[in-house]
Amino acid sequence: MKKGNKYGIHRVIEPKGVLPQPANKIDNNMDEIYDNEILIDVQTLNIDSASFTQIEEQAGGDKAKIAEIMLGIVAKQGKHRNPVTGSGGMLLGTVEKIGDALIGKIDLKVGDRIATLVSLSLTPLRIDKIKDIRSDIDQVDIDGKAILFESGIYAKIPADMPANLALSALDVAGAPTQTAKLVKPGDTVLIIGAGGKSGMLCCYEAKKRAGVTGKVIGLCHSEKSTNRLKDLGFCDYVFSADATQPVAILEKIEELTNGEMCDITINNVNINDTEMTSILCTKDTGIVYFFSMATSFTKAALGAEGVGSDVTMIVGNGYTKGHAEITLQLLRESDKLRKIFTELYA
Amino acid sequence: MTKGCRYGTHRVLEPKGTLPQPAYRLDNTMSIYDNEVLIDVSTLNIDSASYTQIKKSCGSDAGKMEQMILSIVNERGKMQNPVTGSGGMLIGTVREVGKNFPANKLKAGDKIATLVSLSLTPLKIKSIKNLSPDSDQVDVDAEAILFESGLFAVLPEDIPEKLALAVLDVAGAPAQVDRLVTEGDIVCIIGGGGKSGILCCYQAMQNVGPSGKVIVVEYSPVNAKRIEELGIATDIIIADATNVMDVYNRVMAVTGGRGCDVTVNNVNVQSTEMTSILITKGQGCVYFFSMATSFTKAALGAEGVGKDINLIVGNGYAKGHANLTLNIIRESKAIRDLFEKLYV
Repeated sequence: MKKGNKYGIHRVIEPKGVLPQPANKIDNNMDEIYDNEILIDVQTLNIDSASFTQIEEQAGGDKAKIAEIMLGIVAKQGKHRNPVTGSGGMLLGTVEKIGDALIGKIDLKVGDRIATLVSLSLTPLRIDKIKDIRSDIDQVDIDGKAILFESGIYAKIPADMPANLALSALDVAGAPTQTAKLVKPGDTVLIIGAGGKSGMLCCYEAKKRAGVTGKVIGLCHSEKSTNRLKDLGFCDYVFSADATQPVAILEKIEELTNGEMCDITINNVNINDTEMTSILCTKDTGIVYFFSMATSFTKAALGAEGVGSDVTMIVGNGYTKGHAEITLQLLRESDKLRKIFTELYA
Repeated sequence: MTKGCRYGTHRVLEPKGTLPQPAYRLDNTMSIYDNEVLIDVSTLNIDSASYTQIKKSCGSDAGKMEQMILSIVNERGKMQNPVTGSGGMLIGTVREVGKNFPANKLKAGDKIATLVSLSLTPLKIKSIKNLSPDSDQVDVDAEAILFESGLFAVLPEDIPEKLALAVLDVAGAPAQVDRLVTEGDIVCIIGGGGKSGILCCYQAMQNVGPSGKVIVVEYSPVNAKRIEELGIATDIIIADATNVMDVYNRVMAVTGGRGCDVTVNNVNVQSTEMTSILITKGQGCVYFFSMATSFTKAALGAEGVGKDINLIVGNGYAKGHANLTLNIIRESKAIRDLFEKLYV
């Protein structure tokens, strides 16, 4: 076997010298694998929701056209990176072959079912046949193969839950795991965008860590998600507001915390202009964790300085050690979470 | 005097309900609310990204640059560059202090530098007295307002004003380095040869002690030479920070494959996020001071290579940052001389 680079640079065809994610074309020849790669027999692609929505619109909802667009992307790039949104997704498959250099070094064996947790936007992929397109949950069943690089992260699909349920939670595994790391007993925690998929996981985990002396506040937008979160009972307080209006929310949080504000604010809401709300609701010595991909770096950086806040602002990293295990465990611990995830996403 | 909001929202004209920074237009009427300070402004220190943009679009013509600055302030009531979104800071003398501004902090006649961005500071320029395309410090006859939440530093007597202004402009960077870097750390400063880079290097060297390393990645050989002469790095790599694999291989060579505990990104060019991420070891930390940082490139980039590291958004403010930074100028004669030559 040929020796490969940890980050998969050996598969980059053009432009030379870049990493697989920004590359325009990568080598998806699966007849031979490099010594540090894992070959996966793919069953299902879980297309990133922004990407799937774009493809569906372009195809006018026609499934044959969706299939044609997807095959076209992979034929051109050797991976499924949507040329419009730039995003990928994840996949579900079975380990078919493990490179010599990895044997004994990783906890996988041939035949294991895994989900890849690195983006499809950098994963070499070959699609032989598209079998079924499930538009309502952005999933596409295929015959095909994919390559996982040495630096690539993955999770074994557990035996005690349906693969689709596991996949839906793994998709946002970074958020609850970072919450687990950050929140300490007694903390006051604000979760913005608390009613969505990652928001609900964060609320549950935050309450677990903050304990009886802590306080978890959930901020939702729609009435439906507000009620849903109230019913789940994870938060000490749930309210509905427009997160782009910092002054109104600041006043509400002052009231709820007796003017002390929050130790930690976790921003999960995928809309623009919520940086200032996050900063103002947080204590000057506190932490803001931005998970939202709509976060503007300059708005956050200049915003904190502008109001003289010494807050620590962290860029949400979708990967943290143990994130898959921690997230799947949440679905085992909480029947309420498992039930709502099954209903909404699986 | 009318009662004002701590964050200055009473000055926002449009759109209503926003804070002064994201606002399109501020009320720059120069009579103060009860919690504001009125300043007679002598010098504006325009943010370097903003000044470069103005200079380029005016073809380095001083007269045109003056016109552009005046028209921005006329239109918005603040000096916020509409293209870069950034501001800068100012020096001036306190003329009037509102009765509800926090007590005993300022009095009329104090010389201060504001440490909040010009992008949210109500400003009215009467005339521009001196503008040179090569210096981002512009002398003006103007008035400005400081809000209750606004940060400022009283200018020290032992450091010339313009020198103080030049270093206070980037005071957040060395102060954050002081917090993050501990003894024995391997630190990499990308863009180490610029103003904030030099201050970061100096502070990092103090903190890592004899067992640590401070590696500088710098594009310009002239700047690299300067770092070498100042003796504020253990290793210097001359490279293009956007060339990920080149920088990665060379940093790995210097660190024996370990990577860095702390990486500070000060370089104002795009697409250096992956370089910062790859050279940092697992559980380490990347501090992004560069305003050219893309949030999504950083977030997706770390996940894409499976790196469990802390990615931090540079906050220009840290408690005590003005003092720490002025002290560097007091301690290091070499840096003081250099900055006087370059920035004053």
